[in-house]
Amino acid sequence: MRFFDSHVHMVSRTTDDYQRMAAAGVAAIIEPSFWQGQPRTEPGTFKDYFNSLIGFERFRASQFGIKHYCTIGLNPKEANNEKLAEAVLELMPLYICKEGVVGIGEIGFDDQTKAEEKYLIKQAELALEADLPIQIHTPHRDKKKGTIRTMDVLEDVGIDPSKVIIDHNNEETVKEVLDRGYWTAFTIYPHTKLGNERMVELMLEYGAENIVVDSAADWGISDPLAVPKTAALMKERGISEEQIEQVTYHNPLKAYGQSGQVEESDWEDSKGIDPAALFEGNTLLRGGMDIDTAMSQYLIE
Amino acid sequence: MREKLIESLAESADPDAVSWLRDTISNLSVTFEKRPFYYSFSGVSRRFDKSAKIKGADDSPFDGWDEYRAARVALLLVLGEQEKTIFLETFFSVLNTADIREQIALFSSLQWMPYQDELIEAAVDGLRTNIVDIFDAIALDNPFPQMHFTEEAWNQMMLKAIFMTRPLHRIHGVAERKNRPLAEAISDLAHERWAAGRVITPEAWRSVIGFLDERHSDDIRKVAGSENPSDRAAASLVVSESGDSLIDLQESLTGELALIDSGELNWYLLGQTIEEQLVRESLT
Repeated sequence: MRFFDSHVHMVSRTTDDYQRMAAAGVAAIIEPSFWQGQPRTEPGTFKDYFNSLIGFERFRASQFGIKHYCTIGLNPKEANNEKLAEAVLELMPLYICKEGVVGIGEIGFDDQTKAEEKYLIKQAELALEADLPIQIHTPHRDKKKGTIRTMDVLEDVGIDPSKVIIDHNNEETVKEVLDRGYWTAFTIYPHTKLGNERMVELMLEYGAENIVVDSAADWGISDPLAVPKTAALMKERGISEEQIEQVTYHNPLKAYGQSGQVEESDWEDSKGIDPAALFEGNTLLRGGMDIDTAMSQYLIE
Repeated sequence: MREKLIESLAESADPDAVSWLRDTISNLSVTFEKRPFYYSFSGVSRRFDKSAKIKGADDSPFDGWDEYRAARVALLLVLGEQEKTIFLETFFSVLNTADIREQIALFSSLQWMPYQDELIEAAVDGLRTNIVDIFDAIALDNPFPQMHFTEEAWNQMMLKAIFMTRPLHRIHGVAERKNRPLAEAISDLAHERWAAGRVITPEAWRSVIGFLDERHSDDIRKVAGSENPSDRAAASLVVSESGDSLIDLQESLTGELALIDSGELNWYLLGQTIEEQLVRESLT
């Protein structure tokens, strides 16, 4: 099976992760712009971060046969530093129409402050202007209210729900998000978000239409194999392969494909890994793949 | 220039993409604003085919460019018509956030940009890359380095081009800008390579002509005795341009010297032969 993990922060992951993901069938990934565990203090660090998303990280992924895309955005946490936020908003138009940029993201609410709302609106307007999908981060705290408020704000701006992927949903938010016509994404992330047995239950109740499963693996204790492992668990629990493929591959491809910047032929036609390729003189591939036990434990709790 | 470039693009590119480009250029010419420029410069990738090459007339500087590069340079020509502050701010914003293909377009455009004195440092810095396509966009088929580089920057570029085995005959000014420190450095590099049992591109010797002291003359004698026909061809070209100083080599290079006399061998043709060999080798 092939997978498309539409939310994973590879700048925080190792080459071991890339190897295991490739071996488990992850063909393509989307890396959303996000905060990096501690607040940035200068707009210049955003520039270099964005540059790495369209540059070195893309190359690094390609060295493992994985096609890497990204979304560009100012995350809600850092939107609260208004001086920084303004400067990042100035920077974003330089990136959002670039090759392989499949949306504005991840944006949305964290503490649900006025400043967060202001930059959510501004970035939604940018997405309209550049005709790009939006990738939404929903808050950890007061999630249900924050999710509904996000949808209200986007609709006020005039955004079409079918161009928005709302992420980190759970049992409390799923119904309204689906009912309002949004792509409804679930992050399989141990401890703090959603385990994959709950995901199976959600699939049994809501089916596969408009549902997306991703890992959001980052610098925390998370799992870059969350998508293939969840697919394995779904199969074991009797969900059809067609439905599994829909939520782990076809749906994210369709949702972000609206950018015109990602299509299946990008990886299906690719010539595979070029072991001699360099990026700014750097090479990555040393030694072989070590993947034997990667998939042996697929339950994420 | 702009019209020629767009006409060449129009011959093979998607007609919708070409009319988008024409519309964009005419809008930007009337009212230039940064954000629409950013969107269209990057957004070339949404409309054109990066693997398709355009055809220009044989001597045209853009013959063989891919569509992204051609369309982006066409847009940069509009930027070049703007007032100085806007031009410089926009040019550097785009350069500092550019992906690889965008950098190639930006460096290719330098020769047609205004305020070139302000762009020299960016070109010198751009050459510090290890990405061959970016290096080539600055160094090859581009008159900008010849026109603007200091001797130090020129020599750095030449040495790196030799080091990376780039086709030197495509560097503008390679004959005119040779100098003694470069000749010394090339000799040093050759000795280093020989000590390691490796070779140096025969085209490198073109830059020592005119600086043939004893050491360089011995280098040329060594090259003249090489088994590689391109080495011997390069040695003959040096001999033919060096008056009496390498007269002792004439006998062993009679065949090559005759080709030079009949016009069948010169630095350009030698460079082409070497480049074709390199391309063939990289394909096998």
